[in-house]
Amino acid sequence: MAAKILQNQIRRLRFEHKEMTQQELADKIGVTRQTVNAIELAKYSPSLEVAFQIADVFGVPLDEVFQYGNSTRRRA
Amino acid sequence: MSFREKSAWITFITVLIFTVLWFTHVWRVEFLHARDENPMIWFFGTLAALIALEIALHIAVAVQSPREARTPKDERERMIDMKASRVAFYVLLIGTFASIGTLHIPRANRLVMAQCLMGSILFALLSRFGTQIALHRRDA
Repeated sequence: MAAKILQNQIRRLRFEHKEMTQQELADKIGVTRQTVNAIELAKYSPSLEVAFQIADVFGVPLDEVFQYGNSTRRRA
Repeated sequence: MSFREKSAWITFITVLIFTVLWFTHVWRVEFLHARDENPMIWFFGTLAALIALEIALHIAVAVQSPREARTPKDERERMIDMKASRVAFYVLLIGTFASIGTLHIPRANRLVMAQCLMGSILFALLSRFGTQIALHRRDA
């Protein structure tokens, strides 16, 4: 059975928002660039607060940014 | 490499240098019966030199990336700190019990126990900063 992981669309959303850099997103939500990178690569699951902040920056609902689904990729 | 990871590397290497110097000193005094006229001066002198080195290296890294250095730790970095401290706690716990166990070794004295406690503290610190580095590398 494939493990479920928290997937996200942050990379796509960044590029749809004037090719926003990881650093720019990090500055807007008050975390480091490394943390945005870890979230984007699904290596770190953010807190609800940070998840809502990311959705707020892109002006989309939370479930458009994060999905909980099956993946063959092993979570670190 | 992030500022926090560089900071963890600096502290890890500094503690490692101190650990090597400390155990070399203990080995020379305990087993090779080298003269040790003022161990406190040696201990605090070495410690002060390494603290100065660590401060200097941190300043050098902070000058390279001042923005990152000023940024407070975020939730992921705080979680890394907590996980690393948990690992270090168990290392210290095992080391402390092992140090108490030296009381049952024939010819061992309080000095041996103190050295073992010192070793436990140093290994706990190494495991703390080593775990921090490993967790930063994992997320990179």
